[in-house]
Amino acid sequence: MQLETALLIGVMFTVATYLVLQRSFVKILFGFLILTNAANFVVLAMSGRPDGKVAPVVLDPQSPMVDPLPQALILTAIVIGFGVAAYLVFLLYRLFLDQKTTNAAELYDEKESG
Amino acid sequence: MNWPLAPILLPLLTALVTLFWGRSSLPRRWFVAVSATMQLVVALHLTADTVLGRTFVLGLGAWPAQFGIVLVVDLLSAIMLSLSALITLASVLYGYAETSVRLEHPLRATLTQFLVMGINLTFCTGDLFNLFVAFEIMLIASYALLTLEADDWDIKHAFPYVAINLFGSALFISACGLAYKLFGTLNFAEISLRAALLTGDFRLHLLALVLIVVFGIKAGLFPLYYWLPNSYPTLPIPTSALFAGMLTKVGVYVLLRMFATVLPHELTFAHTLLAWLAGATMVLAVMGAISRNFIRGILSFHILSQIGFMVLAIGFFTPLSLAACVFYIVHHIVVKSSLFLIGGVALRLNGTDDLDRMGNLWKHTPWLGLLFLFQALSLAGIPPLSGFWGKYLIVVVGLQEREYWLVGASILASILTLFSMLKIWNGAFWTVSNSVPLRTGDRRWVGMTTVVAGLTVVSLVIGFGAEGVLRIAMQAAERLCDQQGYAREVLAYLGKAGGNLSP
Amino acid sequence: MTGPQSYIFKTVARFLFFLVNVFALYLLLRGHNFPGGGFIAGLATAISLILLSLAIGLEELHRVMRFDPVRLAAAGLTLAVVTGAAPMLFDRPFLEHFDMHFSNVPFIGGFHAGTPLVFDVGVYLVVVGVACKIIFALGKSTQRLRALVAEEEARYSSRVEQPIEEEVRTEPEPAQNPTIPDAT
Repeated sequence: MQLETALLIGVMFTVATYLVLQRSFVKILFGFLILTNAANFVVLAMSGRPDGKVAPVVLDPQSPMVDPLPQALILTAIVIGFGVAAYLVFLLYRLFLDQKTTNAAELYDEKESG
Repeated sequence: MNWPLAPILLPLLTALVTLFWGRSSLPRRWFVAVSATMQLVVALHLTADTVLGRTFVLGLGAWPAQFGIVLVVDLLSAIMLSLSALITLASVLYGYAETSVRLEHPLRATLTQFLVMGINLTFCTGDLFNLFVAFEIMLIASYALLTLEADDWDIKHAFPYVAINLFGSALFISACGLAYKLFGTLNFAEISLRAALLTGDFRLHLLALVLIVVFGIKAGLFPLYYWLPNSYPTLPIPTSALFAGMLTKVGVYVLLRMFATVLPHELTFAHTLLAWLAGATMVLAVMGAISRNFIRGILSFHILSQIGFMVLAIGFFTPLSLAACVFYIVHHIVVKSSLFLIGGVALRLNGTDDLDRMGNLWKHTPWLGLLFLFQALSLAGIPPLSGFWGKYLIVVVGLQEREYWLVGASILASILTLFSMLKIWNGAFWTVSNSVPLRTGDRRWVGMTTVVAGLTVVSLVIGFGAEGVLRIAMQAAERLCDQQGYAREVLAYLGKAGGNLSP
Repeated sequence: MTGPQSYIFKTVARFLFFLVNVFALYLLLRGHNFPGGGFIAGLATAISLILLSLAIGLEELHRVMRFDPVRLAAAGLTLAVVTGAAPMLFDRPFLEHFDMHFSNVPFIGGFHAGTPLVFDVGVYLVVVGVACKIIFALGKSTQRLRALVAEEEARYSSRVEQPIEEEVRTEPEPAQNPTIPDAT
């Protein structure tokens, strides 16, 4: 389970980095969304092997439960990521309205900006 | 017992009240100014108490340390809180002098207070994940401030800032996860005890390197600083002074806290890496400053160059160099913010801050010139102004450690700093030209200059009272390095002294 | 733009609006010890409002709601802070929470209540406010309406500021969906 998670995290970071380096705004946006989730996955993976453990909801005090702290942490991180993603959507939309382009390379064209 | 909370709660409540208040008006301005003054008073009170040896610890929600969040205010945190309150007050008052009530953006006060809340939480927190949350509060407020009053040219330069900080945040969460796996806790005090048992483990080095990248982005270290020099000049002047003074220094503070208080002191590889990155930052950034031709651009690059000095002091990692770092932070925050504000006054008077089209300032506004001279020479490190003492100590430590290349780099950076300050002086103050208009009829510059004069007085006091400030900085550095003492204070408060230390 | 003109969708959306909100209330109340809580309940309510906006249109929804989502969020934050700060009056740490168990209450039996619930209500309000504001502002700008209504504009924007949607609206281009990027 841990190996698969590690591979998944590696793939997600790779995909995110690739997308962030693209020119299209939409791809950049998706890249950052995947990046946030990949980072959340890293934290989630730190709670160890979940085999044979129950979710951290105290229904039966006898059965072992997975470490609840990483889950609490990523809940916070998800909320923050939600806010930042909303900001990024607006920023890219505003850039599109101002510059009439969705291509990040055109945005920083030296000839235009001077 | 809730004293460490005051520097966080006051800005939060102020932000909420201003949000409900809506439109900016004179009473609203008074309210914000009074609140900023109160924050300064509270921070000074905390400093006065901590200088006497106290450390404030507060466990939020009365949870045990592993699950709850701890706020810790020791001497260094209290000093940083005072500086942030001072710069916020100056920035707020300068904003009042610059913009009429009618034209002020109503959200600027609110967002500034949220930003200050994030900054103060960074200084107070004793928990790695809470540090992440504090960073995010600070960053989201700074994103919003960056785009609040931006035109279509400015907004283009906000994007790299947002992008690199998003990347930094993702890495920071990953680092939190790594630290939790390594130590089984995120509390600074417990980490410092458990990390001591892990010395030599390569995962500890890995964590240190990830943290260097994360906080290097925030502080603006060498390969990671390209977001800063283009984004800061697009801000409104008072906000840019606040950013220039506080935001990168938050990164330096966290590096200090991490390497001195939390991680073991034996991470020599990370320390050497920091020192060399700092050397590269100093020289390359100051060259960037020389290449720029407008005041705020030059000053933005100088922030980075000065960051190099502070991080170099952390890299040397002797008790004296850490004290020099604390002293340098104190000096730099005041001087750099006031230079940005002076640049703003010059911009207002000349109508531009392009050095080719400026001039006549010394002839007509000698007071402003004098203030600039004090602060610029202080930045370059001319004795007996405040910048000299920090640099002197860093060079002394460098010679003791036999790092001659790094010492050479820092002296070169200082000379080039002086050179680019003289460039501003020549271009904006010394040049006499009839084609340059001087808008002294616009009386706003008087109020703006008064605010700068206040900051200059503070920096002169730091320079001439260097011995006293240095003694406090020494004490702060000593307590910063005292991992056992820090852990004892925190765990004793939480009633867990001598608790289970195995990871 | 007023959303899809389907009678079935409109009717179902109005009905679902109440159903989702009842569920949100359920999530909010059971939240302290079980899965649920202010954040999720807030998202559920925000979803119900978005559903309603699809049925009756964003402008109509604004008329119905009559409040500014940002103020709602600010009120929620204030409530949460005040709840957190209340123990400070009794010299207890910030954010400490208290609860008590009531037994033998007529009609209900026993139930558990405490200050975390008040805090959760604050979180709930923050989430509803922020989520609604984000979605409505984004929805309005892509539909070429002004993102802020006049009252909000007076409150949150500077007098020198021009709404960026304005510029786009005056353009003679046909009203196509402008957000589709090129595939490069």
